[in-house]
Amino acid sequence: MNSMIKIKDLEKYYRTEEVQTVALNKLTFDVKEGEFVAIMGPSGCGKSTLLNIIGLLDDPDGGSFIFNGIEVAGFNERKRADLRKHNIGFVFQSFNLIDELTVYENVELPLIYTGVKPADRKKRVEEVLEKMQIMHRRNHFPQQLSGGQQQRVAVARAVVNNPKLILADEPTGNLDSSNGNDVMQLLTELNDQGTTVIMVTHSEHDAKYSHRIIRMLDGHKVTEDILV
Amino acid sequence: MIMNYFKIAWRNLKQNKFYSIIHISGLAIGLAAAIMVLAWVQSEKSFDTFHKDYKDIYVFNAQFNINGENRVWGGVPGPLAVYSKSISEVGKLVRINSESNQTISDIDRDKILGGLTVAAVDNGFFSLFDFNVIEGQRNHLFPDVNSVVITKSMANKFFGDHNVLGKTLKYRNENFTVTGVLEDFPENSSLQYDAIFPMALYSKEFKAGGGNGDWKTIDEDLGNYSFQTFVKLHANADANKVANKFTKRYMDVRNNDPASKVEFKLQNLADMHLITPDGNKSAYRMVQVFLLVAILLLAIASINYINLSTARSLTRAKEVGVRKVVGANKKQLFFQFIIETIVLFSIALIIALVLVFLLKPFYNSVSGRHLETSFGNTSIWSTIGFALLGMLMAVSIYPAMVLSAFKPLPSLKGKIASGVGIVALRKALVVFQFAVSVILIVGTLVISSQMKHIRKMDLGYDKDYVFSVSFPIEAAKNANAIKSELEKEPSIQMVSATGIGDMSQLDSETSDLEWSGQIQGQNLLIAQASIDNNFIPTMKMQLVEGANFSGLPSDKTSYIVNETAVKEMGLNEPIVGQKIKFHNNEGTIIGVVKDFNFKSLRDPISPLLFNSNWGTQWGWGQNIFYVRTTAGEAQKTIAAVKKQYDKIATDIPFSYQFVDKQFEAKYEADTKTGNLFNFFAALTIFISCLGLLGLTTYTARVRIKEIGVRKVLGASVNNLVKLLVKDFIFLVILAILIASPIAWWLMDSWLSSYAYRIQVSWQILLLAGCSAVVIALLTVSFQAIKAAIANPIKSLRTE
Repeated sequence: MNSMIKIKDLEKYYRTEEVQTVALNKLTFDVKEGEFVAIMGPSGCGKSTLLNIIGLLDDPDGGSFIFNGIEVAGFNERKRADLRKHNIGFVFQSFNLIDELTVYENVELPLIYTGVKPADRKKRVEEVLEKMQIMHRRNHFPQQLSGGQQQRVAVARAVVNNPKLILADEPTGNLDSSNGNDVMQLLTELNDQGTTVIMVTHSEHDAKYSHRIIRMLDGHKVTEDILV
Repeated sequence: MIMNYFKIAWRNLKQNKFYSIIHISGLAIGLAAAIMVLAWVQSEKSFDTFHKDYKDIYVFNAQFNINGENRVWGGVPGPLAVYSKSISEVGKLVRINSESNQTISDIDRDKILGGLTVAAVDNGFFSLFDFNVIEGQRNHLFPDVNSVVITKSMANKFFGDHNVLGKTLKYRNENFTVTGVLEDFPENSSLQYDAIFPMALYSKEFKAGGGNGDWKTIDEDLGNYSFQTFVKLHANADANKVANKFTKRYMDVRNNDPASKVEFKLQNLADMHLITPDGNKSAYRMVQVFLLVAILLLAIASINYINLSTARSLTRAKEVGVRKVVGANKKQLFFQFIIETIVLFSIALIIALVLVFLLKPFYNSVSGRHLETSFGNTSIWSTIGFALLGMLMAVSIYPAMVLSAFKPLPSLKGKIASGVGIVALRKALVVFQFAVSVILIVGTLVISSQMKHIRKMDLGYDKDYVFSVSFPIEAAKNANAIKSELEKEPSIQMVSATGIGDMSQLDSETSDLEWSGQIQGQNLLIAQASIDNNFIPTMKMQLVEGANFSGLPSDKTSYIVNETAVKEMGLNEPIVGQKIKFHNNEGTIIGVVKDFNFKSLRDPISPLLFNSNWGTQWGWGQNIFYVRTTAGEAQKTIAAVKKQYDKIATDIPFSYQFVDKQFEAKYEADTKTGNLFNFFAALTIFISCLGLLGLTTYTARVRIKEIGVRKVLGASVNNLVKLLVKDFIFLVILAILIASPIAWWLMDSWLSSYAYRIQVSWQILLLAGCSAVVIALLTVSFQAIKAAIANPIKSLRTE
């Protein structure tokens, strides 16, 4: 399999007026297409920072980050946004749905921004809502749904554009175990269909759904467990 | 995508009802007020511009130099029409001789209309101006001297809806055939007449009256500056040069006699309404002031929107973050927020338009102006449209820029903090709003104090319970008999026959006065009025020296002057008995009347001379009777005077003027301006307070955790209210400090146009400042107290 992500000596610092904190310290690893990678580690070890950089939401301070063969470290906001919207889907712990939009409209949003025609949008949104089994809730607003249902919507939104990569930041963190398992099942199914998944988690249980667990401490990789 | 923007905009409005109401009401009130002001401003500026050739049409003024002072007169002599034929730049010249307070009747005198303004015009009138002729042939409206063109209103009053062409009307005992009907003159026309006669009629009357000395026709009469004269120049002609050519022609005919020196000036038709012939631009300035008021109202309403939307941007941060993560770029978000503003603005605009139509009668009565709101007036609505578009751009772009620039990661984490620049700008805008409010409060206080000052001022005579009645001119001959009849009526305390039309505007002046001790070349412009021996006691004026007229023939050579005249003439004691020559008529000063105000209170008291025998000697009649009555018997007195009047006058309807009302009317424009100031000051302060209310509510909301923690740690409600209120009050105090000197300067300049004025005292500034603080305090305290008394557990849990 080809490498989708190649990270080498990646560095990220957070600076305040008096203190500089190292978030990522010369981190190096690869992710191949179709892989399901879990990133674990204690709070503050840099895993969310890493996910944000991979998701092109943040810029590294040093090192190299090659995405699908293109060096993206140093891309400006516009280029990053463009790459992001065509290739990456996000699932957050706190769902991050827009409260003023219905389930249908939340899922439709990425298709609007990528310029998909209304008829195609409708078809794709309905497909993905069926797949996530929340079609019956399509006209509800997020606050009218349970946590599990909200996260299904968030996953639906993440996959509606058929991204090559899904980044999940503690996707079950706000869910009970039953709903959490359902979400993990969904991510596994997506991965089985060829989507690369990188997930940050504190849960050993969830991490076991992945192919590989990268364990981090103080901004660098300490171990790597291959599960499959 | 656009639909999605509209959808979310609408849902946002519904979900945040409190802020939506604040946004919409602030914008709607500001827009409504600004639309009203702009409509008025535009209608003032549109005067006389409905004539298609208005840019090439000019009106003549005559400029004289009297005692080194330039005096401008709006009329010019008739022969200018003759000169125009040989001045190549002139396309057309039209003279108008108008007369007000005229009476026209139908042929049977069944219907008599008084108080009409009529004009005699040259034939080119209807081709020079674009007044709408609805009946009759535009190019042949005056087939003979006994033709008359009337307005539609006049036609309706006399003949109803029937065909009026060919009907007969009676004017000055002559019959006239109606040869045309005009649509009523537009409100924004400087020329307003009820009936129009051919110039041939005036010319005929002039000849019949023997002309003016050696000049037997109006085309020869160089001495009578009685024609308002309009001229249309060919495109690109230089108006100044053309005016000079007319001056030269006139002075050549006058053999360049220095005593007849005059300079003709041309003023464009479009400037005629707002700039007086002598160049006084006070009306024009008033329009500019109100334009500024409109801009300020729009600015203040815009500031509310900008401040509250940028302050509330923190609550929109997550949405921005999510949208960016799922693929939105800055431009798309920018347009999303622009559309949100458009939705909100449109709702506010609809409400504003409804408000304008509902408030129109109120506005008209407060301002004394007629608000033009018909959609037919495109110039008004296009101006308003541009202003609103400008405002929409101003209010939408900045918040949209701020919101769309949020970075996705901090937005999602809720770590967006308003930048220092944004917060500073918000504070500066609040300061600006309150500074404007303070200036308007000072304006309101100063204007009302000044108006009160004027009303309560000792004018030097008692204006209460005295009314005047203008009898026909012939009545002057029988003035004594009429007085005797009236004096029999017990409700009449005193009656006087004079030549004074308006006690607060004695504007007949002359320099034809000689006195002993006069320095060589010393000229004095002195007001002149003809009175009888009853006038001074009727008006309760005081004589400081000498005696009143006696009512005997010896009054013919007696004069009474005022204190200012004594001072300016430089007379030495004893004043009484000094000889003077007035209009070549030698006489004696028999008394000195205490200075009293007989002109606008904007001007200081000037020299005045009372003469008792004008009527007999100069042909200026003492036909205006001043009658003093009492509060309880005014109606009875009026009825008694009317009875006497009806014995003499048949055509002209009886009318009377109370002197105090006449006086009030002089300051009506100022009073109305004061009312408008109150109106707009109240609106501005209200809109500013709405903004402040929104900001305080929001601040209380975002500081809810802090308030809870402080309360748990022992803070009292008082401590917490202070915490929330102090920042805003500091801004208001800063606004007061900035606004006070500006307000002082502005109001001092306004007062400088009054000779009798109050001072802008520190008490007024203090009162305005305190009012602003109290208003702001009341606004912010409500939300602050509400937040401070809330249960801390609840606020901590909410967080």
